[in-house]
Amino acid sequence: MTVLIVIDQAPYGRWSGREGLDMAFSLAAFDQSCALLFSGAGVNWLRTGQQPDGLGQKSVARNLGAAAIFGVEALYADAQACHRYSLEGDAIINGVTLIAPDQAFMTGFEKVTFAG
Amino acid sequence: MTDISLQTYTLVITGAPYSSQAPQTALDFARAAVAAGHQINRVFLYGDGVHIASVLICPPSDEPHWPRLWSDFLAEHQIPAVACVSSALRRGLIDKAEQQRYELSAHNIRAPFEIAGLGEWVEAGTCSKIIYFHSGA
Repeated sequence: MTVLIVIDQAPYGRWSGREGLDMAFSLAAFDQSCALLFSGAGVNWLRTGQQPDGLGQKSVARNLGAAAIFGVEALYADAQACHRYSLEGDAIINGVTLIAPDQAFMTGFEKVTFAG
Repeated sequence: MTDISLQTYTLVITGAPYSSQAPQTALDFARAAVAAGHQINRVFLYGDGVHIASVLICPPSDEPHWPRLWSDFLAEHQIPAVACVSSALRRGLIDKAEQQRYELSAHNIRAPFEIAGLGEWVEAGTCSKIIYFHSGA
C-alpha cells in the first residue's frame, strides 16, 4: 500500500520538488505509507554540502532530513543518475538506497506519483 | 470498443493555464468521462495549477477562458474543486478566510473552487483513481 513520490527535477530552480516533498509529508502525516524516489536531475537533491544561502533558500537536503521524522519510509535514488551526476561516496547524504527504477522496482508500489 | 466498468476519478492539475496545456487536457478528459457515465468526485489544483481558480484572469476575448470554462463545467456537474492552500498562498490565490488571516487587501478565488489542505488529496487517493495533469516541462 506504499505510494512512491518521484522527484525528477533539479532543486532550487522550480518549486515542484518542494511541493512533491509536501505531498510525501502529507501522506505520512495521515498515516499512509509513502517513499520518495529521486531520478534524473532530481538526484541533486541528495548532494551533501549544498550552499543555498546565496539564493536565499533553505537547503533541500535539510528539508529531506525531516523525511524520516515525518514518517516517510524510504529515500530511493536512481543509481545510474547518481553516477551521471558524480553523486558517489561522501557526495550523497546518508540514508539513501540506490536502486534501478525498473519495472520490478516500480511494481512494488501501489501508486507512483510525480510532483509536476 | 470494449465495455469498461464505471469508475470514480479524482483529477489533479499541476500545470497553469496559458503556460501549459494541463487545464485544457484535464477538462477534455473530464467532459469525456462524465459523458461516458463515469464519476468525477473531486478536482484538485496543486502547484501552478491553482491559477485556474483565479477570478482575475482576463484572456483576450478570442481565446479560451480556461478558468471560466472549468468553473462552468464544475458547477453544471456539481463537482467539488479544491486548490491546495500552501500552493495557493504562495501564488496569490486567496479566499476570504485567508484574506482575513493574513490581513490582505483582496481575495480572488473563483466559485465554485475552494481552498483546502493536502488532506483532501490524501483522502481522494484512498477511494478513487487519481489522474494527474502536469505541465510537461
